[in-house]
Amino acid sequence: MAVSQPNPPLTPAVLHILLALASGERHGYAIMKQVEADSQGKVKMGPGTLYGSIGRMIDAGLIRESDKKVDPNMDDERRVYYKITALGQKTLAAELQRYREVVAVAKRLAPIQLAPHALCHAT
Amino acid sequence: MPPKDSLARYRRWYRQLLRLYPRAFRERFAEGMEQTFHDLCRERASAGQSLFGFALRTFFETSAGIVKENSSHFITQHKNICRIAIGTGLVLLIPLVAMLVSDEWNWDPFDFLFMGALLFGTGLTYELVAPRGGTFAYRAAVAIACATGLFIIWVNAAVGIIGDEELANAMFFGVIVMGFLGACRARFHPRGMARTLLWTAAAQTLVPLIALTWVPEADFAPGVVPVMRLNMVFAVLWIISALLFRCSATPPAKSPQIEPAPSP
Repeated sequence: MAVSQPNPPLTPAVLHILLALASGERHGYAIMKQVEADSQGKVKMGPGTLYGSIGRMIDAGLIRESDKKVDPNMDDERRVYYKITALGQKTLAAELQRYREVVAVAKRLAPIQLAPHALCHAT
Repeated sequence: MPPKDSLARYRRWYRQLLRLYPRAFRERFAEGMEQTFHDLCRERASAGQSLFGFALRTFFETSAGIVKENSSHFITQHKNICRIAIGTGLVLLIPLVAMLVSDEWNWDPFDFLFMGALLFGTGLTYELVAPRGGTFAYRAAVAIACATGLFIIWVNAAVGIIGDEELANAMFFGVIVMGFLGACRARFHPRGMARTLLWTAAAQTLVPLIALTWVPEADFAPGVVPVMRLNMVFAVLWIISALLFRCSATPPAKSPQIEPAPSP
């Protein structure tokens, strides 16, 4: 039976950028470092991937450009900050709910999948 | 720690690379990308790590992004041309598959190239001319004219409408050229197109008569009547296209206005 999906799954890059912006607005370098920290180094993206995704996310209405200001922790160059939109928050919430549902299914199936292995080891 | 001029040099090279992005993307993000790259380089420099390998990897990664953005930009800007190219490829699959399953088809690479150019050119002509009219009649007229031209060139190039006689068959190509030049002169306006195509139909009708009269060696295989019949089909198609252009040139009839009664 086909299930209609109003919110298709997000790519890993988009998901991590939304997660990084969920806690506040950031500029490109800060997004990159936050993504690397959140994923414990597993997700690394270069400027090409990052800004390509940012462009598509702005066009989709998930994030928007915020002020252009100086980062006090860095140098005095003015940087463009990005902020998550209401639609971005809703999309992120839906994606995280999807992950929770998948994990719940996996937890229910895990005992059944483990049973044949347990039987083999028992004999 | 590498000297500052080394960091500045990498930043300068990266800025040059960013110029390969499409203009719209560059205006939005090039400054931010350059700053981010510089921040990453500074971070590595502070940690005492080599910049060369990192810069090379980042340049390669950004180049992949450049290819992706330019491809998306091209497809968005030239969606119709991409569709025509894909359509041409799909049509050419027919003879390709036929050659694999049957000995009847035997096309060489030049045949595929010729047919591909013919199909693509016809599709492109339609895409460039049809939007000028704005009405269904105009678009239909362009479609019929393009299809007629395609069939004349294809049949003539494949087997020759008037047997193997090159001079006689060359006159059919002359009819197409005449129609095209007339359309350009009319600037594709509906009335001018209608006139051009009526003249094209007349020229189409005359070609076999001229061949009969002035090219006595012309071989009307499989016969004069079948050749005339085929030629009349092409002439009728030109006329149908002309009538459709004429329809598209006619403004819609105004609904009758009821005049107000004169005031006392």
